[in-house]
Amino acid sequence: MLTYVARRFAELVFVLVAVLILAFAASRLMPGDPIGAMLSDRSGDAALEQRLRAEYGLDAPVLQQFWIYVRGVARGEFGLSYRFVGVPVVEVLGDSLKISPLLALSALTLAVPLGVAAGALAALRHNRWTDTSVMAVMIAGISVPNFASAAFLVYLLAIRLGALPVAGWGTLQQTVLPVIVLALQPTAYIARLARTFMLEVLAQDYIRTARAKGMRERIVILRHALPNILVPLLTTIGIIFGTLLTSTFVVETIFNIPGLGRQAIQAIFARDYPVTIAVILLFTFFYAGINLLVDLLYGVIDPRIRLEARR
Amino acid sequence: MSAVELASERERDELRRRFLRNRNAVIGGALVGLAVLTAVFATTLAPHSYTETNMLLVWGEPDADHVLGLDSLGRDILSRILVGARVSLGVAASVLALTLAVGTAVGMAAAYFGGWIDTVTMRAADIILAFPELIFAILLAAVLGPGVLTVVLALSTTWWPGVARLARSLVLGLRTEAFVEAAVASGTRPAAIMLRHLLPNIVAPLIVRASIGVGFIITAEATLSFLGLGVQEPTPSWGGMIRDGLTVMRTDPYLAIATSAVLGVTILGFNLLGDGLRDLLDPRARDR
Repeated sequence: MLTYVARRFAELVFVLVAVLILAFAASRLMPGDPIGAMLSDRSGDAALEQRLRAEYGLDAPVLQQFWIYVRGVARGEFGLSYRFVGVPVVEVLGDSLKISPLLALSALTLAVPLGVAAGALAALRHNRWTDTSVMAVMIAGISVPNFASAAFLVYLLAIRLGALPVAGWGTLQQTVLPVIVLALQPTAYIARLARTFMLEVLAQDYIRTARAKGMRERIVILRHALPNILVPLLTTIGIIFGTLLTSTFVVETIFNIPGLGRQAIQAIFARDYPVTIAVILLFTFFYAGINLLVDLLYGVIDPRIRLEARR
Repeated sequence: MSAVELASERERDELRRRFLRNRNAVIGGALVGLAVLTAVFATTLAPHSYTETNMLLVWGEPDADHVLGLDSLGRDILSRILVGARVSLGVAASVLALTLAVGTAVGMAAAYFGGWIDTVTMRAADIILAFPELIFAILLAAVLGPGVLTVVLALSTTWWPGVARLARSLVLGLRTEAFVEAAVASGTRPAAIMLRHLLPNIVAPLIVRASIGVGFIITAEATLSFLGLGVQEPTPSWGGMIRDGLTVMRTDPYLAIATSAVLGVTILGFNLLGDGLRDLLDPRARDR
């Protein structure tokens, strides 16, 4: 187990360093001269230009700039914003740092039980109309992109019925539509997997044994079948988080939510690249962390993984 | 006619029969056929020019002449949706062609030669796959600036690692088979072994992978365009049209609703067809 943890950790460090290099290179390759834009009407002021370049660390050789940036990231800083001169990126992000994780976690809290229940139900009614119709809804749920389902839901629930606000952030009602839109695809994805895993588990000998000894069906499902589909489902949490993180870009844009995703997109158009790069790094680091955690947890739960790694 | 050909013909008949029995695959195939035909004949089918503006009819309501109404510049929405099919499927086809070619070549080489080629290519794949879905494409789009070419490049860069990994694992499974060892022993060149002996044996799972990927690629293009990082005006893209439509939902919902429906149904078609093909060609890979 220790060698496994060490190897996975080494892989993570390698990938994250590479991601840092790529992100830094991208930030230097993006179009426009930030200092020139900041100076705008005072473009002749050489002393000011000198001071700004020094403040932003842009007067050093590139390798040194990279080193300064890496040290900053290690301290949880991501440099200064271009748009708001002299303001640290972390301050620009501000409350966004709380909003996006809150959205993603709410969506996940909704998607996991719903998806597992729908998938398990479909498997228990295998090849009957419940199964067919649940699965038809789920494949539609996977197919329709989140901004398209947002269009339908906004029109129906917010405009036609007037039950919910169209957009905005701050009240509980305003979180309902974004969370539903975010949860749709993960729910459908989980349901399809849960159905497959459930069908596999239901065909196992220990389920037949449990039924043969007269155990009530409810206990067979809840105590013997369900726990065994949760373990393989755990490995997909990483993928689901990846989808959710990308979805926040879209959903926050649609519903005008001041989260990390919308900040990153707005920053691209405002040429405030340090902000964009910071969000991309935060998301990627988080994603890598979740995946590592899931792998390790899976290794703890299922000893076969550990043995495989040792070989 | 040789016995081998007879057998393969019977096999093909059997495959066709099973395809027609698979309801999802048939519905998906029909939707995909419709989408492809629309994309090919888009400009012929379109009742109006997709760029022609009419400032007197801005956000015009649907009528007999403009079935789905007009957009913010007085352009016919139906015509723009039809031409949008060409943009959407065109991008998807380009990305698919590029990623399949590059991914298969890289994956096969990595598995066949092993050593540093394997290490370098697979570590590169690891790095790209470390970014959450589409985030790397968004980063690339920000560097390259928006446009059709950017979308194709960004999505291809994000997609080849998956194909390469699949091709690699398939070839690794075949490398110790007798027919490969026989080819190596008889002095066949590596390129010939890969093209003539290995490639035909990994085509089916690659096709399944590709057909399942189309839906994701169309979604990804629409997402980038929705965020303003993809296809730019005046070229119609479904993602961009939905974004425009969402800003005026209260007064003019037609643009967003109609485009969303077409986009959703198109992706559904590709996903149904992909699922069907997977059940048919690669029964072991179900739902993984």
